[in-house]
Amino acid sequence: MKKGLMLALFVSLAFLLSVVPTVCAEEGVTDTEIHIGQWGPQTGPAAAWGSVARGTGAYFQWINDNGGIHGRKIVYHMFDDGYNPAKTKAGVKELQEGTGIFAWASGVGTTPGLAVRDYLAKKNVPWIGPSAGSLHWVNPPQKNLFAVYPLYAGEAKALVKYAIEKMGKKRVAIAYLNDEYGKNGLRGAQAELKAHGLKPAVEVSFEAKDSDLQPHVMKIRKSNADMVLLWTTVPQAAKVVGMCKAMKFDTQFMSTSTCSDFPLMTYITKGAWEGVICATFGESPDSGHPGIEKYKTEVFDKYAPKEERWGLFYYAGILFVEPMIEGLKMTGRDLTRENFISAMEQIKGFKGIGPEVNFKPYNKNDMYSRQGTNQTFLVKCLAGGKAEKLTEWMDME
Amino acid sequence: MIDFIQMVVSGVAVGSSYALMGLAMVIIYKTSEVPNFAQGEMALISSFFAMMLLTSFNLSIYLAFFITFVFAVLLGCFLEFAILRRAKEPNVLGMIVITIGIEMVLLGFVSWKFGAEQKTMPFPIGPYEGIIFGDIFISKLDLLTLVTALVLMSVLYLFFRYSKLGLAMKATQQNSVAAQIVGVRTNRILMLTWGISSLVGAVAGLLISPTIMHPYMMWDPLLKGFAAAVMGGMTSLPGAVIAAYMLGIIENLFGGYISIEFKTVVAFVIIVAVLCIKPSGLFARHYVKKV
Repeated sequence: MKKGLMLALFVSLAFLLSVVPTVCAEEGVTDTEIHIGQWGPQTGPAAAWGSVARGTGAYFQWINDNGGIHGRKIVYHMFDDGYNPAKTKAGVKELQEGTGIFAWASGVGTTPGLAVRDYLAKKNVPWIGPSAGSLHWVNPPQKNLFAVYPLYAGEAKALVKYAIEKMGKKRVAIAYLNDEYGKNGLRGAQAELKAHGLKPAVEVSFEAKDSDLQPHVMKIRKSNADMVLLWTTVPQAAKVVGMCKAMKFDTQFMSTSTCSDFPLMTYITKGAWEGVICATFGESPDSGHPGIEKYKTEVFDKYAPKEERWGLFYYAGILFVEPMIEGLKMTGRDLTRENFISAMEQIKGFKGIGPEVNFKPYNKNDMYSRQGTNQTFLVKCLAGGKAEKLTEWMDME
Repeated sequence: MIDFIQMVVSGVAVGSSYALMGLAMVIIYKTSEVPNFAQGEMALISSFFAMMLLTSFNLSIYLAFFITFVFAVLLGCFLEFAILRRAKEPNVLGMIVITIGIEMVLLGFVSWKFGAEQKTMPFPIGPYEGIIFGDIFISKLDLLTLVTALVLMSVLYLFFRYSKLGLAMKATQQNSVAAQIVGVRTNRILMLTWGISSLVGAVAGLLISPTIMHPYMMWDPLLKGFAAAVMGGMTSLPGAVIAAYMLGIIENLFGGYISIEFKTVVAFVIIVAVLCIKPSGLFARHYVKKV
C-alpha cells in the first residue's frame, strides 16, 4: 500500500514538473532565449526589399554579441516568402505552431502581412513594425500589432501638400500600383487634392508585372501634369521617370518612401532620378546622423556579407525593430506577451534612426494607440544619389 | 492622330523584344515540337553572365558580348545534351515539365549568385536616349531592338530555307526516323537547335538589360513572346515576328483607348481566341505526318 502511494506521488510529481514550466513560461521564451520571427522576400519580384529582413538579422546578432536582453539572446527565425501571401501564411503558421515564436518583427509588404494579420491577432502574438505603411494595420487597431512605418496615405498627403503649397503645382497626375500599397497612396493624394479644391489631372493604374509602360507614360504626358506622384514598384517608377525625361516631358516627380533609396534609384535610372522628391522614414545614408553611423560601423561592417549594400532598406530592418528592442528592455526579466504589450504601450517619445515613436494603451477607437508615428520628411535627390533634406520631420495629417 | 501614331510606334518598339523571344521559342519548337519554358531564364543567365564580364572582369562591351554569345550557345547545347536527351521515353508533356524545371533551377541560380537588387547594364546606347520626329518619340534602344529582330528573323529564315543544316533541322522535326535513315544526326541537330535558340534569347536579354536587370526581368517578354509564337503558328519564323508586332500594337491601342488595367491580359485573350478559331496559328502551314 505504502509502496503504491509512493509510486502515485512520484508519478504525480513528475507530471507536475513536466507541466509547470510550460504553464508558467511564455511561448517562444526560455531562460536564455527569445524566439523572434520575420518573413521577407529573398526571391521573387519584391526581392530587392529582402534586405530589410537581413538588416534585422544583423541587428539582432549585434544585440546578442553585446549581452542580449536581460540575460536572453534573440533566436531569429527568418524565412523567404517570395512576397507570396500563401507562402507567408504557411511559413508563419509552421514557425508559430512548430517552433513557437514569441513575437514577429517587421515583415515586408502589405499583401503578405494581410495574409497573417488576423491569425496573429487571434493568437495575440505581438507583431512589431510591419514593413509597409498600410492603414490596414491600425484601422481598426489590433491589440497585438504595433506599427512603426509612416502611413502611405500620410506620405501622399505630405507630398501633395508640399507640391501645392510650396511649389505652386496645380495639375497632379497619380500613377499607382493596382494593389493595397498603391491604393493607400492614391487615397491619400485624392484627399489632399480635395482639401485644396483640386482633382487629379489623371489617375493611371499599373499592374505589378507591367513592363511595357509606354501607354501609361503617354497618358501621364497627355495630362500635362505639373507634378506626377509615383506609387508603383521601384523598376516601374524608374522607367516612368526615364521615359518621361527622354520624351522631354518636363515635370516634377514625387514618390513614396519605397522609392527613396536614392543611390539605387540614381543607378538604375542612369541619373534620371535627380530632382525627384520623396517622402521617407529614415535619415539618408550620407546624413551623418550618429545613429546611422553607429549602425554602419558596428552592425553592417561587422555582420553583413560583402555583397550586401548599405542602403535605406537594409537599415530599415533595424529602424522598424528598434522600438521592439526598447519594449523588450522595458519588460524586464519577466517576459510574457502581456507584459511585453504593456511595455510597448509605455513607449513615449522614442527616437532611434527613424521618426519619433509613441504608443498608448489600447483603444479600439484610436488608431494612434497602435500607429507609433505620423511623421515623415521630404528629401530631394541630387546628382550622384545624394539627398537634400527639404523639410524637417513633420507631422502628417 | 498623333496619339494613335505614337501608340503604333510604341507597339512596334515593344513588339521587337517579344519578337526575339518568339523567334527563340519557334526555333526549338520547329525541331522538337517542345515549347521551351526555360527560354526566358536561359536569356536571363546569359545577360547576367555578360554583366559579370563587364563589371567584375572589366572587359570591353564587344568582347564581353562575344563571349556571352559563345556562352549562350554552349548553355543551350549543354541543357539539351545533359538534361533533355537523358529523359527516358520522352513525350511532349514530359519535356515541357523538364523545361519548367530547368527554368526554376536557372532562376534560383541567378537570384543566389547575382542577388535580387535591380541593376542596369552598361551599354553604348542609354535606355532613355530617344529620337523625336515631330511629336512622335522612339527610344534608340527600341530602334536597335527592332532592327536586330528583323535582321535575325531574315537570317534565320534564310538559314532554315536554304542551308543544309537548316534543312536537316526541318527534316528532324517532320520525321526524325526518316531523317536518321538519310544520315542526319538528329541528336546533334537537336543540340544545335537549342544552342541557336539560346543565342537568340541571349540577344533579347542583352537588349533588355540596359533598362533594368533583375531575376524576373524575362517573365513578361517570355510570356508575350510565347503568345506571339502561338499566334504566329509556332513553326513560322516570320509568323512569330509579325504576330509579336501585332501583339505590341494591339496591347498599346487597347491600353490607350480602352483600359490600361486590362492591357496585360489582352495577349492571353488573343491566344485563347487564336487557339479556338485557328489552332494552327495565323501564319503557319503545318506539315501533316503521313502514316
